[in-house]
Parts: sequence; structure tokens; C-alpha cells
Amino acid sequence: MFKHTILSLPILALTAIAAASENAPINGTVQSRCIIQTDQAGTFGNPNAYTLTTSPTDGGDPAVIRYDVTLADAYYAQISIPTSFSSSPTLPDQVTWTGDTTVKTISDATGMGSYETNKLELGDVDRYDLTATGSTWFETTSTAVMGGSKAFPGGNYTAMVTAECIAK
Amino acid sequence: MVVLALWPGYCYSDGIVPYYGSTGNAVTDQSLRWSMDNVLPEPPGLDINGVIYSYTIRKQTGDSVDVNVSNENVAGTGYIFRETDSWLPGSLDGTQISKIVPTLPLNREFWGDGSIDVEGPGSVEDASVSYSYKVDPCYNPQFSAACPGYEPPAVDTYSLNYEPYDATQHADYDEAEDRYSDEEGESEEDRSDRESEEDRDRRERLEKALAAVDNSMLFANALAASQALSSTTLSLQTYENKTIFGGIYTDNIVLKDSQLPDSGLGARNGLAQQLLHKQMVNSQYD
Repeated sequence: MFKHTILSLPILALTAIAAASENAPINGTVQSRCIIQTDQAGTFGNPNAYTLTTSPTDGGDPAVIRYDVTLADAYYAQISIPTSFSSSPTLPDQVTWTGDTTVKTISDATGMGSYETNKLELGDVDRYDLTATGSTWFETTSTAVMGGSKAFPGGNYTAMVTAECIAK
Repeated sequence: MVVLALWPGYCYSDGIVPYYGSTGNAVTDQSLRWSMDNVLPEPPGLDINGVIYSYTIRKQTGDSVDVNVSNENVAGTGYIFRETDSWLPGSLDGTQISKIVPTLPLNREFWGDGSIDVEGPGSVEDASVSYSYKVDPCYNPQFSAACPGYEPPAVDTYSLNYEPYDATQHADYDEAEDRYSDEEGESEEDRSDRESEEDRDRRERLEKALAAVDNSMLFANALAASQALSSTTLSLQTYENKTIFGGIYTDNIVLKDSQLPDSGLGARNGLAQQLLHKQMVNSQYD
């Protein structure tokens, strides 16, 4: 999820003391130094009736998200695994979600080599301290298991991985 | 600013423009070494302007490993390109690195063999290295007439440095001129005699020259035949040489003068022949 910040700082006109007054706007645009893009959309495999998973051994593909940072030590990468389907047929039972995010590829061995070791796991959210400039690819896996070993109804299923760039 | 904007600079005519590209993966085996001749395409005006590589590091989390991606410098010692990735303790096994390293555009002739070297307790796998480049078709201006610096092909010419020959300065010029003056005043009869003599002299000179040519040809043919014969024959002894000793050789038979009688046998034989002849002749009248 991109977060572009646009600063609009209108100067508020204070109570006019004189007889006439004018408001002059000052506009500015800030380009984000952290760009997120989906490098590879994930796919669910269906190894059995009650499981959907991105595991390649079960016919799935993890999602790959790329962060491009041009300002060092200014952002956190925060990635949340799916906890629900954004679209699906009507489900017969509760779904249990598991998943993980890991660093797949980096562009700076020295500056980014410890991203994975130093990541902060907050429940379903993993937070990385982006201390170096360059590109980092994160891989997110996800598994959904239908409760009661019931079968997933036929249809299309979509789940979202949320990726954010949070300024420090 | 306007002048700079309109400055033509180094421009190409229509159709002759540089183009860009990138090579395939230079790493073809586990040796992690490659020759640039096998990687780069043909054009000579190729400048490499970037290296794109990726690999997966294999190491223990607590180890420190350096990975060098480099190309040797053909024009000198050391490297024309060298990028070091320092994997510090804390970086995890199986992490992949992917980098694009821009370089100053340098012609292909400077780029030597490439390699990936690992220093420390670790290794790399799934390595890929490719090169981005720019090709200038007009690197050789003769590539096209539209290239800057193109020169039309010219036929080789040779300048002759000589002074004009002045025949009037020749040592024999005065004598020849006198002779010519004499010839102008000669009579018709003298002129005819002189021309006949000159014509005769010319024929003699020609005959001598042809004779010399014939002699030369005969000699050359004889020599060639001799050489051909000697090259095919080991040793031919055509004649046997005998020594004749000197001295006087006297006659051994001596006929003494004496009276030789007529042969009676011969006479009888002659008469018998005569009789037979007469009989034969007379028989035709009988």
C-alpha cells in the first residue's frame, strides 16, 4: 500500500485588522523516498479440500513485494499476512490463517544482510527497519485451513497482503 | 542556455544512432569464471555501462563472508570492475542478492575475464551476471557514409618527383645537330646511298639481335633438357673409353709377284654355259 503524502499548507487568514485582506496559498509536493510495488502476485494451491496454501510444493506461489528506498534509516517496512479473504464464495466455517514474511532478496549485503535477523514480529505483522538505501524483496506465504476439515466451496478466492512504508 | 540547447554536438545522421542492450548470463558453469569473448556480441564499438548480477549466499549466520564480482583489466593490472559484497554475521543463509552496478562506459577491449570469488566460509549458488552496453555503429567512421569522420575511399596515387629531361643539354646534342645540318645539304644521290647504308646496317643489327636471341633460347633449352635428364637419370655411361698404345703395326701377309696360269676348270665351265645358251636360243626356232 502506497502512502504518498501531499503537503498543502494554506496560510490561514487571521482576523483582519485592516479593512482588506488576501490569502496567498503555498503549495508543495513531497515525493516518497520509499516505493512499494508488487513484484509477483501470489497464488493459492489446493493440496486438499480444506487447505489453500502458497507453498510451491503444493502448487502455490508466495507473493513478492519490493521496497525501493532512497533515504536510509528513515522508514520501516511493515507487512501483514492475510487474515481473511477479500473475496470468496460463502464459507461453511471459520478459516484459520497462518503465514510469514521473510527477506528474499537484497541489493546491499552489508547494509541489508541483517534485516531478517533484526525484524520485529508483532502477531500477524512483521516490521523491518530499513536502515540502508536500495531495493529489498520480501516474500510472504499464507495458508488458510477450513475449520472442521470442511471443504472449501468451489469458486475464486482472493486474500490481501498489506505492505506499508512507515516513516520513523 | 539557448545556444547550449541548439548546439548540435556529436550527432548522427538519420538511421545511424547508438543502441542499447544487455547480454545473457555470463555464468555458465560452477567454476564461476567466464571469458568476455563468449559473452559480448560482435560490434567493436561496444561500451559496457553496467553490470547486473545476482546470487544466493550460502553461509552460517555467524560467519563473515566476502563475495567479489570482478572483471580483469586487459589494459593493465588489477580489475576494470570489482564489486564486493560483505556478508556480516547476522545475515542468513539462503538470502539472495540482486544488484545493478552502473559503470563508466568503457570499450569492450578493456574488459578481461570475469569471475566470482568467495572469501571466507561460504559459497554462492544460482549466480547470474550480465552486462548492459551501448553500441556506437560509427565507432568505425567507415561503417557508413552518414558517420561523422567518414572519408570516401580513394584510389592510391603516387607522386612522382622528377625533373624534366632536356635533350638539348645532352653531351651528344651538338654532334647530332651538326650531322642533321649536314644531311640537309646533301644531294639526292648521296641521301639515297646513305639511307641504303643505314637500312643495311639496321638489318644487320636486327639479324645479330635475333641470332643472339636464338642462341640464348637454344642454350636455355639445352640446359633445361640437360637438367631434366640429370634429374631423372642416375648415371648413364654412353661410351666405353679404351686406351690405344702407340707403336708400328706391320702387314703380316706379303704377296710376291709371279706368273698366274689360266684356270682350265673355269674355261670348261664357260664353254658349257655358252653351249647351253645356244641350245636354248635355237630351241625357239625348232
